[in-house]
Amino acid sequence: MRVSRKSFEAIWRRREFGLILLIAVISLIVATVDSGFLSREVWIDILVRCAPTSIVACGVMLVVVTGEIDISVGSLMAFLAAIMGLMISRNHGNLSCGWGLPATLLLGTVVGAITGGLVTWGRVPSIIVTLGLLTALRGMTTLMMRGENIDGLPEELTHLAKHGMLGLPVGVWVAALVIVVTQVLISGTPLGRRIYAVGSSPYSANLAGLSAHRLKLFVFAYTGFLTALATVVDVPRLPKIDFGIGQELELLVVTCVVVGGVSVSGGRGNLTGVMLGVLLMTMIRPVLTFLNIGETGEKWTKAVHGLFIMLAVVSDHACGRRSNQERVR
Amino acid sequence: MFGKSLSFCLLSTLLIVGCQRGETERDLAATGKKSGSDKKITICLLPKIKGISYFSSCFNGARQAAEELGNVELIYDGPTDGDPKKQAEMIEQWTVDGVDAICVAPNAPDVVANAMKEARAAGVKVLTWDADGTQESRSFFVNQATAQSIGEGLVQAMVNDLGSEVVGDVVIISSDATAANQNAWIDVMKPALQKTNLTLATIKYPGENASHALADAQDVIEKYPNLKGMFGISAVTFPGAAEAVEQDGKTGQVLVTGLSTPNDMKKFVHSGTVKSVFLWNTLDLGYLTVHVAEALVSGELKEGATSFTAGRLGEKKIVADNILLGDILIFTKDNIDQYDF
Amino acid sequence: MSLWNRIRRFRGWHEATIALLLVSLLAVAGRLMPSFLRVDSQLLLSRHIWEVAILALGMTPIIITGGIDLSAGSTMGLCAVMFGLCLTASGSLTIGCLACVATGFACGALNGVLISRFRVHPLIVTLATFAGYRGIAEGISQGDSYSKFGDSFSGLARGSWIGIPRPGFLFAMLAIAGTVLLGRTPTGRFIYAIGHNQQAARYSGIAVERLKFWLYTASGLLASLATLVYVSRFDTAKADAGKGFELDVITAVVVGGTSIFGGRGSLLGTILGLLLIHETRLFVSRYWRTDELRSIVVGILLIGSVLVYRVCVRDRRA
Repeated sequence: MRVSRKSFEAIWRRREFGLILLIAVISLIVATVDSGFLSREVWIDILVRCAPTSIVACGVMLVVVTGEIDISVGSLMAFLAAIMGLMISRNHGNLSCGWGLPATLLLGTVVGAITGGLVTWGRVPSIIVTLGLLTALRGMTTLMMRGENIDGLPEELTHLAKHGMLGLPVGVWVAALVIVVTQVLISGTPLGRRIYAVGSSPYSANLAGLSAHRLKLFVFAYTGFLTALATVVDVPRLPKIDFGIGQELELLVVTCVVVGGVSVSGGRGNLTGVMLGVLLMTMIRPVLTFLNIGETGEKWTKAVHGLFIMLAVVSDHACGRRSNQERVR
Repeated sequence: MFGKSLSFCLLSTLLIVGCQRGETERDLAATGKKSGSDKKITICLLPKIKGISYFSSCFNGARQAAEELGNVELIYDGPTDGDPKKQAEMIEQWTVDGVDAICVAPNAPDVVANAMKEARAAGVKVLTWDADGTQESRSFFVNQATAQSIGEGLVQAMVNDLGSEVVGDVVIISSDATAANQNAWIDVMKPALQKTNLTLATIKYPGENASHALADAQDVIEKYPNLKGMFGISAVTFPGAAEAVEQDGKTGQVLVTGLSTPNDMKKFVHSGTVKSVFLWNTLDLGYLTVHVAEALVSGELKEGATSFTAGRLGEKKIVADNILLGDILIFTKDNIDQYDF
Repeated sequence: MSLWNRIRRFRGWHEATIALLLVSLLAVAGRLMPSFLRVDSQLLLSRHIWEVAILALGMTPIIITGGIDLSAGSTMGLCAVMFGLCLTASGSLTIGCLACVATGFACGALNGVLISRFRVHPLIVTLATFAGYRGIAEGISQGDSYSKFGDSFSGLARGSWIGIPRPGFLFAMLAIAGTVLLGRTPTGRFIYAIGHNQQAARYSGIAVERLKFWLYTASGLLASLATLVYVSRFDTAKADAGKGFELDVITAVVVGGTSIFGGRGSLLGTILGLLLIHETRLFVSRYWRTDELRSIVVGILLIGSVLVYRVCVRDRRA
């Protein structure tokens, strides 16, 4: 049962509008408690923090659109961060960035491709592959780091990551570029349409001659690449590399993707919604700080995060969308 | 049904056969528990979290002690995610393996208490280090510093470094809301702060996550225009807070202090964002722990003793089961480069 | 029937493979570390797996229907907090236990309602409750823990009858009940039917939504029972109870041969999967004494077991 195109559009528009409204309302409420919330510095900080999440979310969104899922991105980020650190830190490998960074990007893409290969040709369900990678990569990272944190990254890199160009850290620019490229990919290229087709109805797509395997391999590799990119632009911002990087990133990204309106059954979703979802989820932390919630309140932050995720996700239904499309088996 | 019964029968038969084999060979460790000086003593060092530099440096000190003593086989293992339940499980595994001593740095004393008590009942010597367990679960506690001295020391350092006339807000950046050590220090810091000119604006709990600590610290700097200082009371969140101050260009306006290993904070101390870093000599802590464990196993150290000589550290006082390492170390610009851990 | 036909019709290959892997692991472990196979130490260390085992009993039918429950561990956290809270408030162990079970029931029921009545995808619902329940538990408890419930209560998880740990009896009862349900009752057949083809099941008159609701509620109930064992084992009730268990449970169920797409699987397979994972972890932990290796080995085991099966067996589905 397909909703007609006109009301389909209406639902979409309603969703993003709903998200914008929610963000505006929350900001206004917080602003009445503490007007400092609306200052330029706060919002630049929020933007900078959104950068790595939005980069990865672009990839995971496409994965979910094809009907799969990827919950290994956080552990992959830690793994890549450790390898990158071991390569280019002056206390360790001391390779130049010219070698180290492309190598990291390549490695991320390769791991993504392996994931994709296991899902497609290995026919292992993506939840299993990425669950296994989640644990294995985290273990490998800890093993590699041997109990020591890594610091001593090259100055140019940390400077770019923290201060960047034109006043904004390089992560923001890279994120903007990735968003534009992904949007062009989705709406402007045949590849993008095929990705949606595969998620929408794998059976029909197959009949139409689309290779679901190659498309899924692509989206997983793309996600791996984007995770590496996010690692490269964001991790140098941190004081040091420890094995806890990227913890809970997967939950955050999947939430953003779902909040943004991407259907878990595949075939539907748009980038604007996902980016708004990223903004909404990243906003929670400063919102809580500015709301003057006091000590007891601080201890509820995790609960608020969790409840927020719950509400955001359940309202996926309330927005009028029924995932009445079952995966064709 | 046929296939399932088959697997089950196969499995049970082989299990029984396998167990027969296992039981004819005597458990190595059972014989190893003799206090013969020709046999190596197995000492297990259990940190709160395996893989963070604080505990890795304790392990380095412990390794030194093991080499010095010569008859010690040192096992260093712990949960990489800091899960106290895993600590309890490891203790139980080691008990079954028949080790001689287990040194526990408990993340949650109540969770590991039962496992430790059972280990003691099985003849394993159990002591705690870095953080204490319940009274009945261990023979001794190798204590590096009391919560009192840490909490008050931190507040004192902030007041000294800022200048005692300075009036303003301070914020504590802790780690998890459930972290026992941090909560104990906070309980000491709150009343201590009330006696100063500084007001505690809020306490943030970003968890053991440097990225969240950075975010929280940045938000706090924005929110409180009168912010004069931040306490980063965990080795993961302290660098995050200092980084936030530097990235926002507030070096000199907001002072950060806290607990961390010197290596992680060197650059911040040199840039002036941080004036004092609190810790103690973690190498010595590991060293002392292994010496105490070895002495317990060999019988040199008995319950109720009042002092103990630990290799190069000399004589250490024992007060009510607590073996005191010594004083807190404060790393400043002048001395931080002398330390490498 | 000829032997060749018998082999072709044999549908227990996956379980047999797991059993074989288990036996080989034990054989290798036995050679490298003879003390590993001692019955008394195995029984003692089995303590580590009972809670996960009880959870797996609830997870298996859910995965057979093609769903999933990621919130099992977080439900345990909330149950533990409610247990501790009510115990401290009332002083009575019974009230604490009742509170725990009621919480488990409620958590499972919430999942069930959202999945069956509101038709939200189980992955999404349980991902949300996974975060939500844990957060609520931490908020209510403010990070505190409740402990010291008395030696008799600790005896529940740490004691044994005739040499077998007490939780084992609870597990055995639940496992037998579950196996009978899945293998011998119409309800069991309906569960498999839903996994094979939900629409067809619905058209056949099976009350799909109601069954799913009760499955998720049952999972919540089992989580509360697992919480009681957990809390008794550690003598502490804290919001972080059961952290990370959902991964272990799903790994055990999937390694045991239950297909994540539904329609295939058995409790025997799950039990074998549990044993395999447990023994693997024990061996890695006791022989190599490196905690990092544990996660790597389990991760590879998970992917490997499914990969080998999928590559070697032509599955017409997906």
